[in-house]
Amino acid sequence: MKFDTIIIGGGLSGMTCAAMLAKNGQKVALVTAGQSCLHFNSGSIELLGFQEGKVVERPFEGIAQLNEAHPYRKIKTEKLTVYAEEARTLLAEAGLKMKGNAEKNHFRLSPIGTTIPAWLTLEDLITLETTAELNGKKLLLANVEGFLDWPTAYLSDSLSAMGANVKTASFTTEALAFARKSPTEMRAINIAKYLDKAQNMADAAREINRLGKGFDLVLLPAVLGLAHDNIDLLRKAVEMPIECVATMPPSVPGIRIENKLRGFLGQHGAVVLNSDTVNNGFFEGDKLTAITTEKLEETRLEANQYVLATGSFLSGGLVSDYQTITEPALHLEVEAHESRTQWTSEYLFDEQPYMAFGVKTTDDFHPMKDGKTVTNLYAIGSVLSGNSGIKQATGTGVSMLTAIAVAHNILNQ
Amino acid sequence: MAERQHKTFDVIVIGGGITGAGVARDCALRGLSVLLVEKYDLTNGASGRNHGLLHSGARYAVTDKESATECIQENMTLRKIARHCVEETEGLFITLPEDDLCYQKNFVEACTEAGIRAEIIDPKEAIRLEPAVNPTLIGAVKVPDASIDPFRLTAANMLDAKLHGADVLTYHEVTRLIIRNGSVEGVVMCNHKTGEICEAYAPLTINAAGIWGHLIAQMADLTVNMFPAKGALLVFGHRVNQMVINRCRKPANADILVPDDAVCVIGTTSDRVPFDEIDRLKVTPEEVDLLIREGEKLAPALATTRILRAYAGVRPLVAADNDPSGRNISRGIVLLDHETRDGLGGFITITGGKMMTYRLMAELATDLACKKLGVDKACETATKPLPGSEKTYRKRGLPTAVVAEEGRHGTLAPLIPNATDIDRAMVCECEEVTVGEMKYAVETLHATQLINMRRRTRVSMGTCQGTLCACRAAHVLCELAKTEAKQSQYELASVMAERWKGMRPVAWGDTLKEAQLMSVVYEGLCGLNQRAGKGKEIAQ
Repeated sequence: MKFDTIIIGGGLSGMTCAAMLAKNGQKVALVTAGQSCLHFNSGSIELLGFQEGKVVERPFEGIAQLNEAHPYRKIKTEKLTVYAEEARTLLAEAGLKMKGNAEKNHFRLSPIGTTIPAWLTLEDLITLETTAELNGKKLLLANVEGFLDWPTAYLSDSLSAMGANVKTASFTTEALAFARKSPTEMRAINIAKYLDKAQNMADAAREINRLGKGFDLVLLPAVLGLAHDNIDLLRKAVEMPIECVATMPPSVPGIRIENKLRGFLGQHGAVVLNSDTVNNGFFEGDKLTAITTEKLEETRLEANQYVLATGSFLSGGLVSDYQTITEPALHLEVEAHESRTQWTSEYLFDEQPYMAFGVKTTDDFHPMKDGKTVTNLYAIGSVLSGNSGIKQATGTGVSMLTAIAVAHNILNQ
Repeated sequence: MAERQHKTFDVIVIGGGITGAGVARDCALRGLSVLLVEKYDLTNGASGRNHGLLHSGARYAVTDKESATECIQENMTLRKIARHCVEETEGLFITLPEDDLCYQKNFVEACTEAGIRAEIIDPKEAIRLEPAVNPTLIGAVKVPDASIDPFRLTAANMLDAKLHGADVLTYHEVTRLIIRNGSVEGVVMCNHKTGEICEAYAPLTINAAGIWGHLIAQMADLTVNMFPAKGALLVFGHRVNQMVINRCRKPANADILVPDDAVCVIGTTSDRVPFDEIDRLKVTPEEVDLLIREGEKLAPALATTRILRAYAGVRPLVAADNDPSGRNISRGIVLLDHETRDGLGGFITITGGKMMTYRLMAELATDLACKKLGVDKACETATKPLPGSEKTYRKRGLPTAVVAEEGRHGTLAPLIPNATDIDRAMVCECEEVTVGEMKYAVETLHATQLINMRRRTRVSMGTCQGTLCACRAAHVLCELAKTEAKQSQYELASVMAERWKGMRPVAWGDTLKEAQLMSVVYEGLCGLNQRAGKGKEIAQ
């Protein structure tokens, strides 16, 4: 089987790259092991949120100050702004309505009520330009009864500290009350599946109308819209303004992003090999000539170009054992500290060096193998070295922008 | 706090480990009014940082017959009085090709002399009984080892003390002994939650603070010749072995593998540490290497089993008064009447010993306390079951969460609220902890902070190490205990930091992966770092 490009990895970065290529007419295959980190996503995409522990207001200004090894610095500054716009366009084409702009961060509200800088946020989730804007507002936190992954006491405390007048209430419907009989059923995805049904949604709307009378804004846990945009339906059925706040995982907004991008890939004819893992690469000279996967051990998958988007440790893009860190799919060169004691820091919330470990690349994102650059292979997203995605709040931005940079590189050849 | 300022008791017991809880229970059962005071949480010291092994005594049979005899007697007692804390796994002492098989004969003889049933079995039979054992073994002896849950055991002793009128203060650190006219008359305490200072009075104070007892004695200008001996252990992600596996040789490092609940634990090392390290123990890479290397010899499957975390405790070893060098350290029980030893009245130290002999230690200390206070009541703790162990309690065919609760709370499990949907809602899926069980822990087991909840219910002790349940548990607790939201979030941050502390020494493979997920969720998604203390606090 021969493709123009094969993408290894089906997370945000791999899907973004595949989508850019597919919509420009390439024959693309994407190999994915399964669930991606989007299942732990907040519903926002970030460019750069923090620098040395401080909130970044204007991401591009911050990016200019990042050190040379950072993936963003491998993309020309003037290109970054263009790619950011392309990323937003792609999400919109996939059916994801986002708010925010790349010039200036807004704040998202985390499940425990902290505010975190973000670039794009799904339209149904609450965002703030400043923490003062809720001052004096009457807010209702309306939780689904028995849903334990939305800590209302924490949210209420934070929103009150911002000057809002906050009340907490919970609602249920016949279907949700029935679901509760099973002690582990009240998780975000399960609730979202119930609320995707029209009757249950109508029941929920009636309850929200009853509870929300007199409030300026009703905040709901983000357990809506797994399959379709039923937040719009709910908005029509509810009298007062409603917005959602992210929950503890699994993330319904994150899964929605995944579903929409997957749908977009399907529409543009990309071939997706699900639940499969690349287990071998065949190299000739400075090129990768074919790969095999666990399920297609006998069939060599061939392409002109290849993109590695397998993520960091969590996603299996990097693996560690007792003493070494490796990239398991193609055995590429990795940048990591030698000694295990240097991989980590003693305190959980300090900078953890292992977070920035990853595949070493050229400025064009070509990785190396055995001392040589592989000229038809690229690495993108969290598998790249040099990015501390959590500390800096850069993870999803790096995933999308490196994917788009590489897509352009491939398309320009 | 105000009403407690001048409260007077018969006995003040310092230390909320198994010894202190045992002493408090024994004193309370004999009708004394008791205050048990602990500087952090119950089982925060060595009681919560050991193997969870119900020794048969076989380990000490050759080298320390007195300890061996004490062990087997207490072993048989605890199986009856603390049955809900004990899992009757049995144990093996195996001889590997690199060991001297001649030792086995001495070993069995010494066991027999100490009253320990030790049965030589064919190595093939050993593999049949325990398929995880190293198949190259050349000898095996079966002994009555078992596993015991020290958190449950301590909580049950504390609970019974309370049921018999004892007061319990956790997060209260004794900062000074009140000494008047050559006698200890009470203690000054600092409340770690509020910073308030308070006092309590009693004609007798019992120092049962484990290794910290050394520092308590220093407050009275007394010297107890203690040697802090650090022991490091590793927890593996699942239960590889069903029986305790020991090496049949002179006791050495890392030669015991104990199945505990759903995991197994290898340990320990033994190294002297300075006193200024006992509150911030770290497991070193060398200790981890040694534990893995030796552990694999007991059960080769450990080589490919995920290591959940590492931890270390400090044994309160005591050298004899006439041995300042500490060469003749014993693991035996040390009971010091400071009146006869040092001329200071109203003060007893009970130390040395082992978790296994806590009940006997408590009995000896309480006997002396009664004698000093003129109370004539016999000890009942060897026969009276702990709350939860009144009878064997196993109902079949119930939901697994109920079975898990019974495993943890024995006959007290029916007290766990489960009438409503919210009571039955699952907080921790790894360990099957419900909202109801958390309620019970808040109401009866001195669990007001998240870290207490872990020790009372096992919430967040499973394979996810809290990543999926800790926030849920923290928020449920915040509402049950009416904690302020910011404080509750601070506790959550310090508990995650505590989880990481144990993961870090073994942070590779799946554990590093799990750690990254922990950071993705708590720092990336939640921004919990914004609620952490400035001092990088780790929950105690």
